[in-house]
Amino acid sequence: MEFKQVVGRRRSIRFFEPDKQVEREKIQTILEAARLASCAVNAQWLRAIVVERDKLPEEKLNQLKTPVAALTLDLAPLHIYFFCDLGVVNRIKGERLRELVDVGALAPTHGWSHKFVDDFVYPQILAPMTQNREGYLAAAMADCGGAAHMALLTAFEEGLGACLNTPNPGLVKRVFNVPDDWVPLWVLLVGYPAESWEAGGQRPRPPFEELYFEGEYGTPFKRDPGVVEKLTQAGMIQAPAPLPDRQEEIRKLAERFGLPL
Amino acid sequence: MAQAQRIRDQATVQTWFRGLREQWGEDPADWDDRLEALARFCAFVSKDPDAVIEECVRESDSGKRISVKGRRFYNDKIAEWQASLAGDRAAQVREGNAVRSFLIHNGIFLQSGLQA
Repeated sequence: MEFKQVVGRRRSIRFFEPDKQVEREKIQTILEAARLASCAVNAQWLRAIVVERDKLPEEKLNQLKTPVAALTLDLAPLHIYFFCDLGVVNRIKGERLRELVDVGALAPTHGWSHKFVDDFVYPQILAPMTQNREGYLAAAMADCGGAAHMALLTAFEEGLGACLNTPNPGLVKRVFNVPDDWVPLWVLLVGYPAESWEAGGQRPRPPFEELYFEGEYGTPFKRDPGVVEKLTQAGMIQAPAPLPDRQEEIRKLAERFGLPL
Repeated sequence: MAQAQRIRDQATVQTWFRGLREQWGEDPADWDDRLEALARFCAFVSKDPDAVIEECVRESDSGKRISVKGRRFYNDKIAEWQASLAGDRAAQVREGNAVRSFLIHNGIFLQSGLQA
């Protein structure tokens, strides 16, 4: 699948084939994509615990259900719990940033040197940053978000459906017995969709010019209809929700899974 | 040449040499030219290499930090010196960048901007 089509096809899938397992190779592919995400100072904050729903004791599965995600947790055969490992920066002490200098990703052309990394970056920038929990958490979690979205898009590229949900952080920490400095982020629910790929159509978004500006705040970045047409042809921009047969589709899914309407 | 010989053994010059070697995996082939350029710059500002780096660093309660003021001063001085050199633009840039490299490999993060 072309990249633009993957972006266009992605939408939160909430009806999964509950008994169709996700192949291990695809699970690894999703995780490999997350590992390759862009990451500040190459710290790699993202951690994941992969859970096959049927291998999780029922008692634990029930504990993890939130009011919003209870049904999707039951339907999705694969749950990937993402965490932000806040302890990593003080464990590696700039070592991975040094690797970036070693391999030539950061070069003297841009002011980087081993001595700058060793003498200044960790002791004067990174270590103090970890003391300001609020700022540190925002920075680390932004990076984790990027990595989780690489995983999300890869699931679609692998022919799967997926949906990010917010779990109960305290429960997740307890159920999976993770280190104290791991902050629970999301659970990525994955499986083969039981609904159509369109899933009712591409979700509504605010107008383009309301979100993006050019040069300064208040000057909208002008949306070129020609580009919109090209992206539509490429499958990135797709038919918007609601599609005419969506209600009928929901009715059938409700009947199949015994869900209320 | 005599000036270059005089600064060769300074700690910061040795750090620069080691940094270049670590960066490129071999001794810098143009080391003598770089050293000459640094020596000329040091004469221009009337400071020796160790003093230049010392002025780009300051001590704080939490340890050694880059001095923004010192770095800006030397960044401007390098530009000024570079512009005063004889020869074509490429030669001037080469000389200026040798001094910038000296600062960078001593941990003084510095970006000169495009000069081509």
